[in-house]
Amino acid sequence: MKTLEKLNYYELLEIAPHASPLEVHQAYKEMYDLYHDDSLASYSFFPPEERREILAMLDEAYSTLMNVKTRAGYDRSLVENGTLKTDVKDRPDMNRTVDAKSPADQSALSIRDNVKSVVSSHPGIQEILARETISGAELKSIRDELGIPLEEVAKTTKVRMLYLEAIENDEFEKIPAGIFLKGFLKAYGQCMGLDADTVASRYLKRMKD
Amino acid sequence: MNSINQSRSECTPFIWPIGGGKGGTGKSFLTINIGILLARQGYKTLLIDADLGTPNLHTIIGLPNPKTSLSDFVNKTVSTLEETVLEMPVHNLFLISGARNKLDIANFAHEQKMKMLRAISRLHYDYILLDLGAGTAFNTIDFFTLSDSGIFVCIPEPTSIENIYRLIRSVYIRKIRQVLQINCFRNLAGQAEAQNRDAVIQHPEYLLTTLKQIDPEQGGNIEKILQAFQFKLVVNQVRKRDNPRTGTLICKIIEKHLGMRIQFIGNVGFDDRVHETVCMKSPYILKYAHSQTALDLHGVLQGITGGTNRQTAALAASTSI
Repeated sequence: MKTLEKLNYYELLEIAPHASPLEVHQAYKEMYDLYHDDSLASYSFFPPEERREILAMLDEAYSTLMNVKTRAGYDRSLVENGTLKTDVKDRPDMNRTVDAKSPADQSALSIRDNVKSVVSSHPGIQEILARETISGAELKSIRDELGIPLEEVAKTTKVRMLYLEAIENDEFEKIPAGIFLKGFLKAYGQCMGLDADTVASRYLKRMKD
Repeated sequence: MNSINQSRSECTPFIWPIGGGKGGTGKSFLTINIGILLARQGYKTLLIDADLGTPNLHTIIGLPNPKTSLSDFVNKTVSTLEETVLEMPVHNLFLISGARNKLDIANFAHEQKMKMLRAISRLHYDYILLDLGAGTAFNTIDFFTLSDSGIFVCIPEPTSIENIYRLIRSVYIRKIRQVLQINCFRNLAGQAEAQNRDAVIQHPEYLLTTLKQIDPEQGGNIEKILQAFQFKLVVNQVRKRDNPRTGTLICKIIEKHLGMRIQFIGNVGFDDRVHETVCMKSPYILKYAHSQTALDLHGVLQGITGGTNRQTAALAASTSI
């Protein structure tokens, strides 16, 4: 039995070193359920100061792993001290999807806020967002990078799968035009932690061109 | 079926102490109903009312005036513990009641207690379920030394969970002490307890950490022995709005922080009719055999017997001889 302080962030959250941001988020949520101040399951088990220390460790692990830059730095330190093998981290498997019925929607911590931090620190996503127009395929590649299943987007935005697929496939004839499309695009962008107006205007610009 | 049971009963019985820390969590409820289910599966099953000071297993099972009880053995009115065993209306089910225990029995002398524990471990049954009293007194905790197994019952309320953790920590430290009684560990125990006195009282997990620091090899051995225990957790009186994962989370806390394996074997749903069956002095499972709560109890039974039907295994063994 290792004490918590001796665990690395991945061990602490009980995830693999190649876990996607969504998996990191879910693992954190699970641990939070276990240790937060009002958790029934751990009621009275820890003195208050020990509980605070554990929660601080979890927060630290979470914020480090949710940011692409700080995560890369942390991984390098693990590789240097021999905890992590280099080949494991060559390409983080960001495309893996997770259970769409995640507990995230019940959480006080919004997944959207957490995805935002990945978006802002991810070079690939930033490059797409810097372009003047955005295609459906590019939106899909951002979604894949974030590891968010389309079902999750449909559930959050209440936009039908049919329309979301049409947006990603650039099948304009299948999408209701005008104000509806703009609304769908905004909801889609917001769900993925992107700037809703930017997504809508650049997609519509490409469509008109 | 009898011959199979007799041959099984010649082996060491599976002894399951059932504890809950707090009163009213359903220890007696579980003991009776699981006992009946075990007996119906063909296991020769003995229920012992080990709630020495405030016994009432006999009342729940509908036997208001048992002729013999545990105190007859403690007071030497009878010479063997077997003589206090009562037959139950359910085939294969037996009871050692506490109904006639003297009021001060819970404070009986150490030798008497050791004599009783030895006698229990020598009984010939397939399963022995010990319905323990509330609290964490020595006389409750000591029943856990009889076996490598134990069932903890709690309800999803902070008061019950607070007490279940106290009970589990008390059992944990009793188990460590039991292991440390073995000669080769005795010196190590003295050193560790001297170094970390707080651990012995509030946080037994630190005792193991200290042991491992002083002597990593022997500390590791003790840890292995502790991990071999088969503890189970049942969450009783679960209502629709309760988090069904509380039991899983409790087990996770215990594994992570006490290094002790404990398996969550099920939620048992709250049913108003339990109260009614207690008032009627009739076991719940006999009256409401097909309710959701009864199904939950079957799930708990599977968790106890390991999900395998040993009756079938025993039958196969006996036919091959």
